[in-house]
Amino acid sequence: MKQEDRLNIQAWLDGEISPQKAAQITDLVEANPAAQAVAEELKAVECVLKIGEKPVLLDETRDFYWGQIERQINAEEPIPAAAEHPGPIPESTGSLMRWLIPVGSLAAISALMINFGNVNLADPVQPIDEEVIPSTSGLTQPVAVMEEENAEAGVGVFSFEGIQGSRNFHDPEDSSALPESIENPER
Amino acid sequence: MPKLDIPNAKDDELVRAAQKGKMEPYEELVHRHRDKIYARAFSMMRNEDEALDLSQEAWVKGWQRLKQFKHNASFTTWMTRICINLCLDYLRKKKRRQTDSLEQMEEEAGGVERRMPIEEYNPTETVEREELREQIDVALAKLSYEHRTVLILHEFQTLEYKEIAKAMHCSIGTVMSRLFYARRRLANLLIRLKKERRI
Repeated sequence: MKQEDRLNIQAWLDGEISPQKAAQITDLVEANPAAQAVAEELKAVECVLKIGEKPVLLDETRDFYWGQIERQINAEEPIPAAAEHPGPIPESTGSLMRWLIPVGSLAAISALMINFGNVNLADPVQPIDEEVIPSTSGLTQPVAVMEEENAEAGVGVFSFEGIQGSRNFHDPEDSSALPESIENPER
Repeated sequence: MPKLDIPNAKDDELVRAAQKGKMEPYEELVHRHRDKIYARAFSMMRNEDEALDLSQEAWVKGWQRLKQFKHNASFTTWMTRICINLCLDYLRKKKRRQTDSLEQMEEEAGGVERRMPIEEYNPTETVEREELREQIDVALAKLSYEHRTVLILHEFQTLEYKEIAKAMHCSIGTVMSRLFYARRRLANLLIRLKKERRI
């Protein structure tokens, strides 16, 4: 008998065969003693396995078993309060900000330079190195000095405010109020 | 909303409460079904430590995926499937680490059972139910993990060929072949055990 026939007999007993093929297998089992023997053996195994498995019980106490599961759950659980309290910035946001801060700074500086260019056009007598930001802006240093400092640090107050969006930091220049990734973009 | 009476609540009620993030009802579910999940892990792994670790991992995964449970099947069926998948992943990784011996390769292809004559096996003959369970357990432990797993999934989890093929990452033809040789080997092992018992 072919191996294919044996597998078909098994599929026939397991109800995994089409009705058309089932009729063929029924004929084979009735006519062929070898096929009949295969079918009988498979039926016997199926019958014995119906008795079921030996029961297995866990030795561990309820507290011990659950304690280990609970610890693992807590270890893998994300902190749900993150949205309410501005804690450490997620890694993806941090890496994004590492790129956005210098780009934002450059954009802000460029905008300032264009703006001052317009001012200079309007008032060509006033020299650039003596230009002072109006006091309402909160900045009192000469622009040339401020630009130099920003260029060195690569971090600007403007970009920070733009990125933070709705977050309200009382003093944007107070380093203690800044998240770590803003203080030190190298992190 | 009335407080859930956890010890007397139905599984479904506990699952719905746990799906809202409450851990206490989940702990009750673990307590109720931990033996069943552990038993399935043990039947597949045949190692107490591995079964313990994998059953606990299944409960952790169950918690993490609990919101995906749609109440279409029973919670224990769903949990058992998670446990089986973890065991299968573990066994696959373990097997990959081992070098296939000639014996293993032969067993995959059917081994000695392919050449054995068919013997008549009468399971009910003078063997007590508990003793027979013990013999089945011994015989299952002697099967290769592929043969044992296919038998467990088909006979005890009542999965169809295509479901087993999906779980075991193989073709339906392979499932049929493994199941056939697993049954033949089991029959021969049980006959041998019966003969040993007579001696």
